[in-house]
Amino acid sequence: MIILLILLNLILILFFPFIMLGIIKKTKAFWGGRKGVVLLQPLYDFVRLLKKQPVVSSTTSFVFKLAPVIALATSITAGLFVPTVMGFSIINIDFAFIVFAYILGLGKFFAVISAMDTGSSFEGMGASREACFTSLIEPAFFIIMASIGAVAGFYTFQSLNVFLYNADILGFCIIVLAVVALMIMLLTETSRVPVDDPATHLELTMIHEVMILDNSGCDLAFLSWASAIKMVLISSIIANLVIPYNLPLGISIALYILLLMFIAFIIGTIESAIARFRMSHVFEFVFAMSAVALVILSLITIRIYGG
Amino acid sequence: MEIFFIGILLFVLSGVFSLFCRENIKLKMITVLSFFASIFVIIPAFKTLLLGLPEGLICNWNGVFGEVPFVIDILSAFFIIIISFVSFLGVLYSNGYMKPYEGKSKKFASHCFFLPMLTASMLLVTVVQNALFFLVVWELMSLSSFFLVIFEDDKKEVLSAGIKYLIYMHISVVFIIALMALMSVKAGSYDFETFKTIFIEKPYLKDIIFFLAFLGFGTKAGFVPMHNWLPDAHPVAPSHVSAIMSAVMIKTGLYGILRVLLIIDKPTALIAFFMLCVSVLTALYGIVYAVTQKDIKKILAYSSVENIGIAGIGIGVGMIGMFYNNSVVTLLGFSGAIFHILNHSIFKSLLFMGAGSVYLKTHTKNIEKLGGLIKSMPKTAVFFLIACLSICALPPFNGFIGEFLIYLGLFGSLKMDTSGLFILIILSAAGLALVGTLALLCFTKIFSITFLGLPRHECSQKVDADVSKTMLIPMGCLALLTLLIGISAPIVFVPVSCSVADFVGVQYFYTDFVAILSVLVKLFLCFGLFILIFVIVYVVRMLICRKSIVYNTWGCGYDKGNNHIQYTASSYIGPFSSIMTPLFKKIFDVKKPKGLFPKDAHYNSSIEDVEEAYLINPIVKFDEKFLSKFERLQDGNIQHYILYGLIFLILALVGVVFLG
Repeated sequence: MIILLILLNLILILFFPFIMLGIIKKTKAFWGGRKGVVLLQPLYDFVRLLKKQPVVSSTTSFVFKLAPVIALATSITAGLFVPTVMGFSIINIDFAFIVFAYILGLGKFFAVISAMDTGSSFEGMGASREACFTSLIEPAFFIIMASIGAVAGFYTFQSLNVFLYNADILGFCIIVLAVVALMIMLLTETSRVPVDDPATHLELTMIHEVMILDNSGCDLAFLSWASAIKMVLISSIIANLVIPYNLPLGISIALYILLLMFIAFIIGTIESAIARFRMSHVFEFVFAMSAVALVILSLITIRIYGG
Repeated sequence: MEIFFIGILLFVLSGVFSLFCRENIKLKMITVLSFFASIFVIIPAFKTLLLGLPEGLICNWNGVFGEVPFVIDILSAFFIIIISFVSFLGVLYSNGYMKPYEGKSKKFASHCFFLPMLTASMLLVTVVQNALFFLVVWELMSLSSFFLVIFEDDKKEVLSAGIKYLIYMHISVVFIIALMALMSVKAGSYDFETFKTIFIEKPYLKDIIFFLAFLGFGTKAGFVPMHNWLPDAHPVAPSHVSAIMSAVMIKTGLYGILRVLLIIDKPTALIAFFMLCVSVLTALYGIVYAVTQKDIKKILAYSSVENIGIAGIGIGVGMIGMFYNNSVVTLLGFSGAIFHILNHSIFKSLLFMGAGSVYLKTHTKNIEKLGGLIKSMPKTAVFFLIACLSICALPPFNGFIGEFLIYLGLFGSLKMDTSGLFILIILSAAGLALVGTLALLCFTKIFSITFLGLPRHECSQKVDADVSKTMLIPMGCLALLTLLIGISAPIVFVPVSCSVADFVGVQYFYTDFVAILSVLVKLFLCFGLFILIFVIVYVVRMLICRKSIVYNTWGCGYDKGNNHIQYTASSYIGPFSSIMTPLFKKIFDVKKPKGLFPKDAHYNSSIEDVEEAYLINPIVKFDEKFLSKFERLQDGNIQHYILYGLIFLILALVGVVFLG
């Protein structure tokens, strides 16, 4: 059973990212009135990139070659801490979310310095924005995890599920707010609209996409896979908030996959419906997560200590 | 214990001998003697730490100090080890760093004399248990570091930074004197051991004593708002001196606070919360300014302020644990703080040494002029990168472990009573997370602008080779240690936690210790798994694409991209400084191009410390204005001076007769 769950987790973490990307593409095509590419097109793109020979800038050093490897390794390692189906995570330690955040931080560190390694002004711009925007995400994430953990009495991702078991009106509010906050985190960390637009190739408006301008071949494949894995991870954290653990395995898997597909659909819809924000407004969007986190903190204080 | 004094004596002797040596062998002699001296002082420290038995010796200075107890207890044993280790590596590094100055600087002899003196005085600070003698060695430490800072005193900014440091230290020592005097008078003795008795009858003294200690020792450590000497003194000092000062000397301030806490025993709620709040503010303030600076050593100095704040958060958490009698939180908080002190002393000295190597080769500390050094100085670059990763607290390097323990302590104390505490603790954790991500912003900036891309100025273009081996070896040792401590955290945790056992109380210590150790062992397994995944991914990548084509950086259709179109440090932090504008005082130095054929024009912007601009400078200005009114008194006429003396004596006499 455990081996089965481990395998299931690995498959979901490693390969579901491609399906999520495919659904986003399909959704955008749907709203645009097009037929769109096949669902597994991101996977085909990935395989095609793997076969290509990378072009490396003469300005770069070993950092540039190391960064995609570290980005992928950190994303996969972070995935081991996140519970997917029935609250099962491959590594289950206390305070997993701290390790999760800091491991992803390592990947981000290398992504940023590899962009700076090329000496390109465009990539410098992307690196600067990525480092700045995402630095505002983590404190809010910690507030949410810590205050929810305090209710449960233990600090893992599984503590998110505690609200569902004793859901009253306040608990329900907290769940909704936490989902909103985590959605903002998802859009920012994986650089989707309205923070960033992965579809355009106009360098001045981009964040994450412009950081990987010089990566090609397997390096590019690794980087985009790592970013897509992050999308599944944060979606899985949301899944912990809304899917109860005590359902049968089949239903759990089905619900989980449906939820992730739904999140992908929402991301696609957002990308079709609104344009990306102006840079100065991105800060407001990112700060919104901190604001929501503070509301969650005050609601939970009320819940624990009474009005 | 005697062997410890042989070590101290060797340090002092090496300083004295250096006065009589030829210039080219001075530092070599100091290095050799320091090596043996360090071994002599480390042996009893290790013995104490492993056996848990304090070792002591009482010297009798009749009349002057009375009986002076020198004690190596487990807390001071820990500090002895890091002080002697980092100082020795600093001295080793100085062999290469000071080479260009040999025979050229008049200050060389005094530098060589004070270098081992600083180490000896720092070591003595940690073992002296007598208030009066403590003040003497404390002052010796401040003075010897002052002489080391003003090495290049022919430059104006060096001298003014040195004087500023001296003034700060002497304001701080006033508070320490007041602290020691208060405790000595109440206890009727100079012995630290007797100080513990004074709080039994007068518990309100705890607050006063702690605030005096915070003002005095906190200035040395660099807590906001007394941190201002750090960003001035570190950039002007020679790099190995900055390394020793930032890595270990400012920690003696934290040692002082911890020692006072041991004397106070159970803290009051007021001082526990105060410590936590002020530490969070210190950490945030330090890192926000570290992000915005351009001088490589100024960045590191502000980051020292940040790290002192992080260690302070640990101490604050420990104090909250003590206040609520929660032994796990106490152990987590204090051991997190001590672990962070250990880590910071390793990676910060490595960073300062790396910055020194860069300065030696490029003769500039302005990172806007650097770039591309990873090609010409590959080893320095790798060591610097490791230190950057570690200071950002990224796993699996050592910096992560200290912060992880502090997080554990913070979340552990959530179970305690009030809602005010609950919100404060969660916001502190969020503050610590923000500090971590801003550190990432700061150190990606410092590393990528200094070492990556293309050289931005000719000073970094003409660097041809890496620094000498005497400079690389200490850096290599430190870099290796950051990784080793990170991976073997469960082993290192044993002595670290033992050094704070006195705070927790022995009866609870072992159960808590085992509980925390099991968490660290799990963490160790996670790190192992991460390294395994990393190796697998790396091998896969190597198998998939063996060859790559080398070509120019893509210039978006622009063919001749050069070093001038690269992102600079200021543009890198542009988005950040735009949202933080209210916190900064920006200074612009602009000369616009004029006319049809403009000749020279420049634009320079820098960010000044608001605390200095709006708090310290007005005080200094008022002080100047006020005191200048008394300028007339000093007229150079010796008869007048004798008259002043006479007036004073008469006033004293009148005072004694009427008031005494």
